[in-house]
Amino acid sequence: MKPWLHGRKPGDRRVRVERPHAPYFRYAGPGLLVAREAASRPRTPAGRAIARVRGMLFGRPLSIHEEITERLSKKKALAIFSSDPISSSAYATEEILRVLVLAGAGALLLSLPIAIAIAVLLAVVAISYRQIVQAYPSGGGDYAVARRNLPAIGSLVVAAALLLDYVMTVAVSTASAAEQVISAVPALADGKVVLGVGSIALITLGNMRGLRESGNIFALPTYLFVGSALTMIAIGVFRIVINGEGAAPAEPLPGAPEIPQAVGVLLIIRAFASGSVALTGTEAVANGVPAFNPPEARNAAATLAVVAALLAVLFIGITFVASSFGVLPVDEPVRRTVISQVAAIAFGNGSIGFYLFQTFTALILFLAANTSYNAFPRLAAILARDGYMPRQFSFRGDRLAFTSGIVVLSLVAIALLVAFGGDTHALIPLYSVGVFAAFTIGQSGMIVHWLRERPVGWKPRLAINLLGCAMTGSVAVVVLIAKAPASLLVGVIIPALVLMMLFINRQYRASAQHLAVAPDVVIPAPHREERVIVPVPGITRAVVQAVNVGRSIAPDVQAVLISDEPEEAAAIKQRWERQLPEVPLVIVESPYRALVGPMLAYLDVLDRTWPADREQPITFVVIPEYVARRWWERVLYNQSANRLRRVLIGRPHTVVVNVPYRREEEAQAEATT
Amino acid sequence: MPDSNTRPAFHKAVLGLNGGPTDQLVVHLGCQLAKTAGAVLVAVHVVEVDWRHELSDDVSTGDVGASAILDLAEGIAERYKVRLTADLLQARDVGAALVDEAIELGADAVLVGLPYRKRFGGDFALGAVVPYVFQNAPCQVIVVREPVASSEDRGSAGSDQPRGKQRQEVTA
Repeated sequence: MKPWLHGRKPGDRRVRVERPHAPYFRYAGPGLLVAREAASRPRTPAGRAIARVRGMLFGRPLSIHEEITERLSKKKALAIFSSDPISSSAYATEEILRVLVLAGAGALLLSLPIAIAIAVLLAVVAISYRQIVQAYPSGGGDYAVARRNLPAIGSLVVAAALLLDYVMTVAVSTASAAEQVISAVPALADGKVVLGVGSIALITLGNMRGLRESGNIFALPTYLFVGSALTMIAIGVFRIVINGEGAAPAEPLPGAPEIPQAVGVLLIIRAFASGSVALTGTEAVANGVPAFNPPEARNAAATLAVVAALLAVLFIGITFVASSFGVLPVDEPVRRTVISQVAAIAFGNGSIGFYLFQTFTALILFLAANTSYNAFPRLAAILARDGYMPRQFSFRGDRLAFTSGIVVLSLVAIALLVAFGGDTHALIPLYSVGVFAAFTIGQSGMIVHWLRERPVGWKPRLAINLLGCAMTGSVAVVVLIAKAPASLLVGVIIPALVLMMLFINRQYRASAQHLAVAPDVVIPAPHREERVIVPVPGITRAVVQAVNVGRSIAPDVQAVLISDEPEEAAAIKQRWERQLPEVPLVIVESPYRALVGPMLAYLDVLDRTWPADREQPITFVVIPEYVARRWWERVLYNQSANRLRRVLIGRPHTVVVNVPYRREEEAQAEATT
Repeated sequence: MPDSNTRPAFHKAVLGLNGGPTDQLVVHLGCQLAKTAGAVLVAVHVVEVDWRHELSDDVSTGDVGASAILDLAEGIAERYKVRLTADLLQARDVGAALVDEAIELGADAVLVGLPYRKRFGGDFALGAVVPYVFQNAPCQVIVVREPVASSEDRGSAGSDQPRGKQRQEVTA
């Protein structure tokens, strides 16, 4: 009887009705329930403790309704998408100089023409990507292009190359950021790897908390870097052109081998291949077109043009100032990056301007690493949805982040960083090959696209993509050869990733085929006979409960006792017949003391003795299980039951039923037994 | 959003919901007012129990419709990030139950909906609840009317108020 609540007047009574579902679910329509946060809350003390720790580390769980879907203006988009490509200018010049310096001081003059040649390549790639943006405004970049226009293997190669590219972006950017910090604070030189790993850990934590590429977070450091870098270049150019300043011819690196002054073509090609790392990240805009304000494609194309122009100006500018002042990479006694030396020339070594610039450079490099935390998990999730990656990659965690993707990206990037000692120069050969492979296949997809669709004005567009494909393909081959043997590792990693994805896909397709139900089939009622086997160790409350559950499943119930002590077994049988007379107990003596083997053999014998003219029955093996109160007690119980369950899982026509007996049920059982 | 100059202030308001077309309007208005005032809302749905049943008979626990009315209100309040609790009541008289609940909870406002009936030329169906609440509630009463169907049909040109402002607030 519910308590009545009295109103002001006699007879105005009311009853408050409980809504048991309310704390956990909300009705959203007929037959449709929406789970509330309380439904997902852990119920055990240990689970609650873990949830509290997770909450402190990663924040409270977010509902899908709380997802921020920010549309970006061109200014914000420029900040977000340019951090990856523009940050390449922090190390691209250094990569050229590291090659040219081997040929002597005179060769350094070639750095500017090489930088200009790379800028031309950048222009072709940027124009090609503008076409991708306009042709595929739904985003996805190279993977989307390849998936729609090329055979599956093509899109998988792109996907593998992009996954590698994203991992390398994290490793290279954090390594370079750590080097920028060390260039400003040489005392930290010994902690380069720790600095890089710590940065990755921080970025991972931020992304696990659901850090989004919010325009506001990105805008300030990106614009500060661009502004200060342009100022640095302007000061450098002013001093070179107006004041006529410049350095004496540079000395080779200490310990460098003697090389004739004549610069070989191979060295130029090698320098070009090294410097082409400047192009990494150019594809970022094409991947994120849907994030732009409408008209998305037009705004994305305009942003891409500005990003490419900025990158070209910064890259050529830094290279010009560096080569004019004879700046060389310094490794001993402490690593000093080329860009930090250019900053020291422009702002003054040890000046506030120098430290600010180094800070902005490190920040933009960290942001560049962070862009991969958006791209890698999303691509992995798309691949998982397409059945090429484990499904866990498509599940989003408490904070709406693709947790598995984030964790894998971090672990692989940290492994690379540690393996290469946090050395940007050593990591870069792995970086460029994957990027240019993705560029090339993306362009190939666009060629197929134009040939297939043939819209108005398709011929010039086809020509641009053909040129882009040829150039990026050539660069990919050059980088692969010029940067060997490190670059050859990519030639192993990408095919291995593709093979792994094909294998996963084959597994998923096979299981889907096995599990498929024809849509036009009406499922008939079950018609197979059922029998129940209850393996028992003796007579306990848990066994009685399991036997009763078995009786509720089917009338044909048999208890089976595997015993290596005949006298004890006989005593149990006697007691069984007295206390559970309606359920037959079969004793299987096991002189070799095995439990699982005789049990399986007994089930096999039952199957064989089943009449051949009748369909095999479903055998329910009902296993009694004692649930310990505390987690550490669990190791003391159910070990035999666990072993039996494991071997029965794959047995045909067999269903395993666990019947847990809880201590709380003790009092209830006392009353009945 | 209501005009801030004429906005009635309250700290706790009872929203009377009946599963009709005005429920959403009532909850939305309640949430808008509560959000600006930092107030608390209590959504109340009263299942009227006729004399064939005991008042304590369980007629609404399994009634998905009754729960869904309150769940809808909770869903809207969550979107507004407004604190809303829900009460499902059984009573002989809906109006009396609403007023008594408001008194017991110490509410300083009751919001109820006023549906518009299209039949017989169209009119507002006052029924028994709204007049009872007007007469007996010891706090302010806000009535949210359903948009006039004929005006809707004619389009906004024929309406005496612009679309989206077609609610009348009556404070008693």
